[in-house]
Amino acid sequence: MPDNAPVKLLVIDDDAHLRESLAEVLELDGFECLQAGAAAEGIATAKKHNPKVVIMDIQLPDSSGFQICQELRKHSREAILIMMTGRFLSSEEKTQGFQLGADEYLTKPFDLQELSVRIRQLLSRGRS
Amino acid sequence: MEEAPAPEAVGGRGKLAYKFLLWFMLISLAPMGVVGWHLIGISQGVLKEESLRHQQSLAVGFAETVSNYIATFKTVLTIASRLEGFAQMDPVKQERNLNRVMQQHAAFLELSVFDAVGRETVRMGRFLQEQPQMRDFADQESFRAALDKGEYVGGLVRFQGLYPTLTISVPIFEAVGGQTVKRGVLLGRVSLNGLSQMLRQEFPEKGRSQAAVVAGDVKDNFLVAHSNPSEAFKADAHLPEEVLKVILTQAARHGGGEVELKDGSRLLGAFAEVKDTGWIVYVQQPTESAYLAATQMRAQVVRVLLWVVVITLLLSLAVAGHITQPIRVLQQAAERLTAGQFEDLPEMTLTNDEIGDLAQSFIHMSDSLKEKTGELLHAKDELTKYGRDLERRVEARTRELKAAQDELIKKERLAAIGQMASVVGHEIRNPLAVINNSIFFIKTKMTKEGILDQKVERHISIIQSEVKQANSIIDEILTYSRSKELKPEVLKLNHWIEEMLSIYPFPAHITVAKNLDARDPVVYMDPEEMKQAIRNLMGNGIEVMPQQGTVKVGTQIVDRSWVRMDVGDTGPGIPQDVLEKIFTPFYTTKARGTGLGLAVVKKVVDRHGGRVEVATEVGRGTMFSLFLPLHEPGKAPSAPAAAQASRPAPPATAPPAPAARTEPPQTVRTHARPPGA
Repeated sequence: MPDNAPVKLLVIDDDAHLRESLAEVLELDGFECLQAGAAAEGIATAKKHNPKVVIMDIQLPDSSGFQICQELRKHSREAILIMMTGRFLSSEEKTQGFQLGADEYLTKPFDLQELSVRIRQLLSRGRS
Repeated sequence: MEEAPAPEAVGGRGKLAYKFLLWFMLISLAPMGVVGWHLIGISQGVLKEESLRHQQSLAVGFAETVSNYIATFKTVLTIASRLEGFAQMDPVKQERNLNRVMQQHAAFLELSVFDAVGRETVRMGRFLQEQPQMRDFADQESFRAALDKGEYVGGLVRFQGLYPTLTISVPIFEAVGGQTVKRGVLLGRVSLNGLSQMLRQEFPEKGRSQAAVVAGDVKDNFLVAHSNPSEAFKADAHLPEEVLKVILTQAARHGGGEVELKDGSRLLGAFAEVKDTGWIVYVQQPTESAYLAATQMRAQVVRVLLWVVVITLLLSLAVAGHITQPIRVLQQAAERLTAGQFEDLPEMTLTNDEIGDLAQSFIHMSDSLKEKTGELLHAKDELTKYGRDLERRVEARTRELKAAQDELIKKERLAAIGQMASVVGHEIRNPLAVINNSIFFIKTKMTKEGILDQKVERHISIIQSEVKQANSIIDEILTYSRSKELKPEVLKLNHWIEEMLSIYPFPAHITVAKNLDARDPVVYMDPEEMKQAIRNLMGNGIEVMPQQGTVKVGTQIVDRSWVRMDVGDTGPGIPQDVLEKIFTPFYTTKARGTGLGLAVVKKVVDRHGGRVEVATEVGRGTMFSLFLPLHEPGKAPSAPAAAQASRPAPPATAPPAPAARTEPPQTVRTHARPPGA
């Protein structure tokens, strides 16, 4: 993949506004953003386009973010998986998520500047 | 009559006395009655026998008299017949002699002399005319018997149909040469009126007794004499048939017994045979008079017995009354006791007998009863008191329960609010995130395109700030409402406070005054939770001191079990009406605030098994005191709540304030839970 090509990124959230606003902000930042409103759709899109980064809500109508995480980790070891949540997570839940392959957690609402920096950092680390 | 009439027991009173009476009478009178009756029976028999014997002797005696009477006239005739030369006398001479005899003996009605062949030679009589006709008696019994047997007594007839007369004949002898030869018969008719006269003299009272002389047999009887002479002078005079049947058929020469006449009257009769003649002398008396003595004696005995009964009755009454008197007194006393009157019992004489013992026992009993009743009454009072006490306690407990219930309801309500807040908070986070994202997009895009002017940028940052503020409110609510597990650690309290103060962003106008206990208290607590509580308190303090002020932080070991952590300010203080509600969740006086800051403080301290006190004075400042359990070294660290159970209650009053602190005049204590409960 050429270096100047935009990094593919997938946002999975059932809230269309949030999905869209997040995607648009990240596109401004130079990412190519794919979107999915449900777990199944998200997994299919990921398998098809192999995004480098997947940002997903933990609570989805048809499944949980952790299950997507587990599924995607089978498919790709390099992908950066970021979990979003609207509520507090206990450390047990977080630990469980990390074991399933999650790389980072975000609690809504989050600082988008921070997120952008964090993604690039994770990407550069994965590349080296 | 020997049986005393049993007095009927009247009503309920005095039964015992009457019973005594009855028994006394039975015991004393019954034997006496039996003996008396028996004696009367015996004496009656004896007296009756005596009466009969008396009758009999009368009869026998009179029979003798009758016999003598006849014998006298016989003798007179015999003497007259044997007068010297009477046989040889001519009739005139004989008549003269006989006339003398008649003059001497009035009973002779007629005298006649018969020659040997029965021709009458002399005839003279009191009621004969001159020169009476001479009769021939050769075939007459009176003549023949006198010649053959030597004498004749018989020929009972009623002279002139009225007077009973008897004929007596004796032979006339003439001595002829040493031999006596019968020359004729001297015959006399004797009036028997004399016998009746004699009977009348013997038995003068007609009604009581009478006597009679009877000859012949039952069918052909002849009343010779009667004590009532007029009876004997009747032509058909005779005794009652029943009597005749008895006396004229007797073989015995004398006897007697009771006879019942046709008219129902009873008689006591006796009879005796007159020697030679075969006449019967009969004496009778009505039984009433014959047995008069016996009847009188019986009446006397009965009178005496009656007296004895009356006297015994009176004596028994007296004795029974005497015996039952103490019992009656006892009864009265018992009735008073029954009515519940223990005082003024009738006076009881303690005699030296069973009744005295009874009275003694009764007195003991009444005393005991009085005592027991007193105890009962006392117990009742006690019970009533206990009952009231219990009621009060139940009321108090009910109030407590009500309060606890209210508390619970409040807690549940708060929990529900917390739950809701959590859900709402969570749901608001998504829109907040969208707003945040969108505004970031706008800001980035406008910046890139160079069209972001200053005003727009300012408003974008206001939006971002408000989103952040809203998010922090949600954080606060979620922090309060979630039940995170406590993660306590053993910590040196002073060090922990120092560390926290060092990183806390105090504004420049705030002075911090520390006053930490040099004994270096050690606690077992969750540092994260406690940090949140202390930060809230300091934050509040800073907020109320916008110009100038001091935040005071201190620790103080109160006793073996408790340490106090103070966080105070020198702000305006809290008014009384606000003070009561400061720990209530969502209560706030700030324009912006969740009203959860102090509620979180209280919750955290409660979770550590401690309590919060507030001391405040308007215009001077406020001091929050957090009482926490001291960690006991050597004891395995345990959950604060569990440690609390074995720990004495925290000091009830606010401990002495640190020297630097202003003395607040009023304190409010809130208890997380009743310590030690």
